[in-house]
Amino acid sequence: MDAWILLPVFLPVLAGVILLVSLALEKRKKGEEQPDREPGEAELHNLHRYVAVALAVSGVLALAAAFSGEHSVTLFELLKGIPVYFHVDDISRLFAVVISIIWLVVAFYSFVYMKHEGKEQRFYGFYLIVYGVLMALSFSGNLVTMYLFYEIMTLTSMPLVLHNGSREAIMAALKYLFYSMCGAYLGLFGIFFLYKYCDTLTFTAGGTLNLELAQGNITILLIAVFGMLIGFGAKAGMLPLHAWLPAAHPVAPSPASAVLSGVIAKAGVLAIIRVVFYVVGPDFLRGTWVQTAWMTLTLLTVFMGSMMAFREPVFKKRLAYSTVSQVSYILFGLSVLSPVGMTGALLHVVFHMVIKCALFLTAGIFIFRCGETRVEQFRGIGKQMPKTLWCYTFASLALIGIPPTSGFVSKWYLAQGALEAGVGVFGIVGPAVLLVSALLTAGYLLPITTSGFFPGGIVKHFGIEEKHEAGSAEEASVGQSGQENNSAAQADAGKVAETNRKADSLEPVPEMLIPLVILAALAVLLGLFPNPLINFAGRIAASVL
Amino acid sequence: MNEAILAVVVLLPILGGALIPLLPFKNRTQMMVYTEGLVLVNSALALALLFHRPEDSFVLFRFTSNLTLSFRVDGMGTVFAAIVSVLWPLCVLYAFEYMEHEKHEKIFFMFYVITFGVTLGIALAEDVVTMYCFYEMLTLVTLPLIMHTLTREAVLASRTYLYYSLGGAAFAFIGVIFILVYGTTPNFTPGGVLDLAAVGERTNMLLLIYVLCFMGFSVKAAMWPFSSWLPQAGVAPTPVTALLHAVAVVKAGAFAVMRVTYYSFGPDFLRGTWAQHVVMALAIFTIVYGCSRAVKETHIKRRLAWSTVSNLSYILFGAAIMTPLGLVGALSHMVAHAVMKICSFLCAGAVICKTGREYVHQLDGFGRKMPKVFAAFTVAGLALMGVPGLCGFISKWQLVRAAVDSRDPLAYIGVAALMISALLTAIYMLTIVVRAFFPRKDFDYDTIRDVKDPGWKMLLPFAIFVIAIVTIGLHSRPLIQGLESIAAQLP
Repeated sequence: MDAWILLPVFLPVLAGVILLVSLALEKRKKGEEQPDREPGEAELHNLHRYVAVALAVSGVLALAAAFSGEHSVTLFELLKGIPVYFHVDDISRLFAVVISIIWLVVAFYSFVYMKHEGKEQRFYGFYLIVYGVLMALSFSGNLVTMYLFYEIMTLTSMPLVLHNGSREAIMAALKYLFYSMCGAYLGLFGIFFLYKYCDTLTFTAGGTLNLELAQGNITILLIAVFGMLIGFGAKAGMLPLHAWLPAAHPVAPSPASAVLSGVIAKAGVLAIIRVVFYVVGPDFLRGTWVQTAWMTLTLLTVFMGSMMAFREPVFKKRLAYSTVSQVSYILFGLSVLSPVGMTGALLHVVFHMVIKCALFLTAGIFIFRCGETRVEQFRGIGKQMPKTLWCYTFASLALIGIPPTSGFVSKWYLAQGALEAGVGVFGIVGPAVLLVSALLTAGYLLPITTSGFFPGGIVKHFGIEEKHEAGSAEEASVGQSGQENNSAAQADAGKVAETNRKADSLEPVPEMLIPLVILAALAVLLGLFPNPLINFAGRIAASVL
Repeated sequence: MNEAILAVVVLLPILGGALIPLLPFKNRTQMMVYTEGLVLVNSALALALLFHRPEDSFVLFRFTSNLTLSFRVDGMGTVFAAIVSVLWPLCVLYAFEYMEHEKHEKIFFMFYVITFGVTLGIALAEDVVTMYCFYEMLTLVTLPLIMHTLTREAVLASRTYLYYSLGGAAFAFIGVIFILVYGTTPNFTPGGVLDLAAVGERTNMLLLIYVLCFMGFSVKAAMWPFSSWLPQAGVAPTPVTALLHAVAVVKAGAFAVMRVTYYSFGPDFLRGTWAQHVVMALAIFTIVYGCSRAVKETHIKRRLAWSTVSNLSYILFGAAIMTPLGLVGALSHMVAHAVMKICSFLCAGAVICKTGREYVHQLDGFGRKMPKVFAAFTVAGLALMGVPGLCGFISKWQLVRAAVDSRDPLAYIGVAALMISALLTAIYMLTIVVRAFFPRKDFDYDTIRDVKDPGWKMLLPFAIFVIAIVTIGLHSRPLIQGLESIAAQLP
């Protein structure tokens, strides 16, 4: 009996549902008169302990399921010949392990952060459920099972987006929902056709397409597969269904943004990997217009995402655009259909997960400690939170791809894969776009570091109002209108800032900082010691190509 | 002897229902017990009949030597009869709570119960004439139900309904005549009854007649361009909209279409002709059209009515594929849509009846106040969208399997239309769900202090429908096998 591998699915879902149900019951019991009460310190502490234990136990179970050999479970037949079927293979292992680690780390960070967002119980309820669903998605053994959990993931992660309940957040959540649904239905359209023309929908390395049956229906099959690429690409922020991502990721609370951008966007990648390499088969697509169009779309997305990020002044939005661009690096690596490219793509899946989470956690710290969201307001921030900014800098360097950080390794493989895949002009254009995008990445990430550490003269100073009553009004006004003030006022403020700078440390509490340090360290260390991961990814790529 | 029960299940509710205003009930409870008892007995009889199908037909009487009013149970009739027999007692129960504050209750229940018999008459009709008779009767007995409130709006709506339905029936009648003339028998026979020797050169004319007949019957199934009566008829009390305008009446239209397609004209005669393309194109267009109107509509019941328009065309699309698999798809969506749509309508009715709110934008924060109703609504909504694990996915899968299997490019477009429709369904259902469960952060719950879950008579049907949605979704094997055995009778 291998059914125990579903424990990491059911346990967190159950834990999350318990949280949500008890929340609803409690609200009913209290009656209508009382407004929503903020939970007390002790209650919160219990909640955190509950979440941490639930996640840790399921994480351990997930690791156990991933590393104790091949497992498969058939639950029941959803349709004739299509069971709900789970199977652990190398791809499942990769995703399950990385997701589990990230989920736990981000949870620890969120314990402090979510105090300022409120409604913790609802947040953690959905946070746990989404984790369970992601595990199910990783372990899914056939296309319909994967589709099932893909839909559930969309539905259960939506409340994370609209958490703060503002109009903007709700609109963004609906946008997220409808784009994802649109993508999912494009995917479903393809599944119908694959069901007809494939021997089985069970994931099989190298694909199961029945070429004899498909004879004469190649066109419709290619259209269907292209629809699936676009559809599942929606979650990964690929053109043309990318527009929800820059709207939805930034409005979520920062821990949620981190996992949405870092992890859930990768669910789209996982779905595409499954479709292309495990059902359709890369050989069917090689050299067709679908491959050409796919490569074109990914490269356009890479460039467009970076460009938009470069122009975007709101920090979290900038990071969201960066996700659009970076996830399409992965998709480009897949689209060239070569082993090296796929190795690079899988590496970038892992590295981008780590790096993007680190970056969003930094953004969260900036918002949490200073209440600022725009990039130009972060000038001089490095003097007050050097550790945070250093972490940010390392993660940025990794994302740009500067050796010896992790991003360099994955991008190396991506470029090499494109060069030797024999995809004609894309072999040259691809790496060129990746390089230009890397430059842009440097352009949109590093200015925060430079102006944070070297503000140059006049700086706005965070947190002065609380600590220095004298002249607070003046500084508050400086704080609000930034650089628009005349130079005299700025000079005054600058002087005050200069005197206070050393005294004020805005560094967050260790509970927040440690997860960030872990992720930033991982971003660098994975680049220094990449070989186990490269071998693992290479093995996967060799098995399907 | 068994055969006589065929007529009993049709006539018992008609006669028993007609007695409701005449019987001297002492109080409301007695009337409730009588009505519910009558419907339950009849449902039990009908279901017993369906499980022990008599082989022979039962002739009620003869108009002429070969025109008869006769009943017989076959596979397709079983499906429709089973759906209505299961749903009717539940909806009557719901109606007791809903109608508490309405006037003319006895008249209402009289027609409500009579309609049950008439619908069973359509399901169990042995030949096309019998079906046509009950089809016309259905229009007439449901008219007072739409008119029930006697407001100007209701009278107008019932008038529209009458004109559309009678007009449609007139076109259908042309088809009936041609079936009688060119068919070997008026009885429904799997694979059709057309006498190809008699048709001879007149193939194109018969195809034209088929298209007219299809469009005539599909007026009741609210296919574009004859769909606008259905949203208007939403002024009727919710038990009527839920049961008749999501299941009995509209599915009678779809049922009649399937009967003439698969059992009278015959799919072999029609497949690949221009007639098939015309009706399929109309169905495909309606699928998208209905959903788009639903997205635009803000009145909650009218929104669901437009959704019904779209979903009934799923069934018509399945019928228009004209393969055995298409029939399986159409029938499975008939079953699935019955439970999902009735569930969502009853939720809407509970909201309207208990709170007086009728528009989508008034539903902010209702999820916390009416958790059970909105939980049921969410499940029904997800099922309508076709989330796997719920019944909507099963029926959609069957439909699309048939479409892909037919290798007809137009059917491929239909698949795309189904996907677009699913997306639009997500939009019009989930906006309500999100609004109800996640109101804006400055939302004041005091404004909806009066809102709370309804009583058990309303909640019991919800619970049963939700269980049905999930059960069919997770364990579809018996249902699909049953439907496949029906389709297997087609040559």
